[in-house]
Amino acid sequence: MIESLRKICRDLLQSNEVQVVIGYGQSGPGKPVHPVFVRRPEDIHQLVWNEHCYTNLVAYLKRKEVQSLGKAAIIVKGCDERALVVLEKESQLERKNLHVIGVACEGMGEPRLRKCQTCKVRLPRFANEVVGQMASAVDDSRPRWNELEEFLKQSPAERMAYWVEELGRCLKCYACRQVCPLCYCERCLVDKNRPTCINTSATPKGNFAWHITRAFHLAGRCVGCDECTRACPVGIDLRLLNQSLARAAEEQFNYRAGMDPQAEILLGSYSLQDKESFIG
Amino acid sequence: MSEVISTTDLRQLVGDWLSQGKRVVGPRQVKPDLILYEPLVNGEQLLLDGFVRPSNSIKEFVFPRHESVYAYLFQGKELDLVDAEVPFREQVLLAARPCDAAALPILDPLFNWDYEDEFYNTRRRTTTVVSLACLAHDDACFCTSVGLGPAETRGSDAILLSTGDDEFVVQPVNEKGRALFSGHTRGSAAEPTFPPGPKKKFKPGHVQTFLREQFESSFWQEQTLRCLGCGACAYTCPTCHCFDIVDEGNATGGIRAKNWDSCQFSMFTLHASGHNPRNVQAQRQRQRLLHKFLVYPEKFGKILCTGCGNCTRNCPVSLGVLSVLEALGTGQSI
Repeated sequence: MIESLRKICRDLLQSNEVQVVIGYGQSGPGKPVHPVFVRRPEDIHQLVWNEHCYTNLVAYLKRKEVQSLGKAAIIVKGCDERALVVLEKESQLERKNLHVIGVACEGMGEPRLRKCQTCKVRLPRFANEVVGQMASAVDDSRPRWNELEEFLKQSPAERMAYWVEELGRCLKCYACRQVCPLCYCERCLVDKNRPTCINTSATPKGNFAWHITRAFHLAGRCVGCDECTRACPVGIDLRLLNQSLARAAEEQFNYRAGMDPQAEILLGSYSLQDKESFIG
Repeated sequence: MSEVISTTDLRQLVGDWLSQGKRVVGPRQVKPDLILYEPLVNGEQLLLDGFVRPSNSIKEFVFPRHESVYAYLFQGKELDLVDAEVPFREQVLLAARPCDAAALPILDPLFNWDYEDEFYNTRRRTTTVVSLACLAHDDACFCTSVGLGPAETRGSDAILLSTGDDEFVVQPVNEKGRALFSGHTRGSAAEPTFPPGPKKKFKPGHVQTFLREQFESSFWQEQTLRCLGCGACAYTCPTCHCFDIVDEGNATGGIRAKNWDSCQFSMFTLHASGHNPRNVQAQRQRQRLLHKFLVYPEKFGKILCTGCGNCTRNCPVSLGVLSVLEALGTGQSI
């Protein structure tokens, strides 16, 4: 499978259809897998594919250093691809300027990541081509909100105590923002300092302000790639916040970000049928 | 003959220190996959083995991520300035890794160079550092490449060395360390056992030559392209010490505070004019290594890195000091 992936990428570089392939590399067996940017056909052996290809490479499309390399081919898993759908709907990219190579994915990590256990997009759906096949059928039956529902069984006071402790650890390193494919603002709200909108201090107040604002800005947009959670050096489970908003979008508006390219984006559309029951 | 303390007695001693009103900080299992240096509530929380090192560093207990330096209060047309209280609570940083402890004497001259930082200095004076010699290392560790090692005592007031038998040899480095354990150890013929540190992975002299001569090299762009520009490396680094000064308040008053900052953020060098001398991430990564291996040693005589490997382990895309310097050594693409 890796050979067909490499062949596709080599051909794309050789024909100059793209100038860079954004994929996964590894400096040796057992070493961490990390993003690579292959620009010459003869370097294509750098590409790898295995169950440690965690990074959602779509985050690189917002980086001007990467944009300056020319037209890109990008390797995506089905979950990563959902971010591409949202970015296109939000006019952040034009698909004709991007070559998308989907890879069939059996899930990442050993044991599998939480997002993989309920994944329904293991085969990318809108890529220019898809490499690999699914060895097993997608199990469609597993409920997605188990953890969230378990969490919500606690009293508001218990939940607050949980978040005080979790967010209390936040260092304000903004890894959650930087790895997010959908955090593409050129100047983030927290970086505005004339005047300051959100306290930059890593204090309980400043940390709540940051994380709640971050979550709200991703409401109806977050595709659940969980990169923020993976990137956090102090283990804050941001997935819970994101899931809470994703479930609201789904239950109130029958909307799942990045699933249907035909669907109008949730926050950019208005319908007389929109529910108001969740307000107030 | 050496002085030893059993694990049980050490945990008991933590309880004693706590009841004396001291803050005791040590490695703690915070979540199933997360070990951090955190204040301990009892001796049982102290995690002594089975891991390489905590994800954070001890620096935040002498140089916190957020610190008020004074408060201001508007009284009509008058402005009152109120000094912040200088912290003076005694604390013990226990089972610190030698690569964490060694960072403190590296940072001391920085906080006492053109200005003596009262907050930092007071914390340093009221802190006793008890390190624990390393029993394990991983691929990200490189203390031996920057002149340190698994039983290094720089920055420690005492060091504990495992005998492999649920007890530790206590080696005081100075009077402060001796006083802390006085009366709590017993004589023993037991010898400490610990494996050698990681093999040397690069030569600082080679790095310095490259930094001097290859400022404009395409190496920086090629090797650091995957950096996404967060501050996970700097904020978990024992030696990174940049901070920002911010005002936080409202119409009636507020505080002026020192907050951690990172040279990897695009805003770090952004001028008021809109010009940014470090406009792309490669320049910021180059800056990080320049500061650690050239600028700081030239100014203060010490490499600003202890080889702990936190930058690599905590990086969402596995890019740390080591991966860049290893690529420099071999010329291989990372």
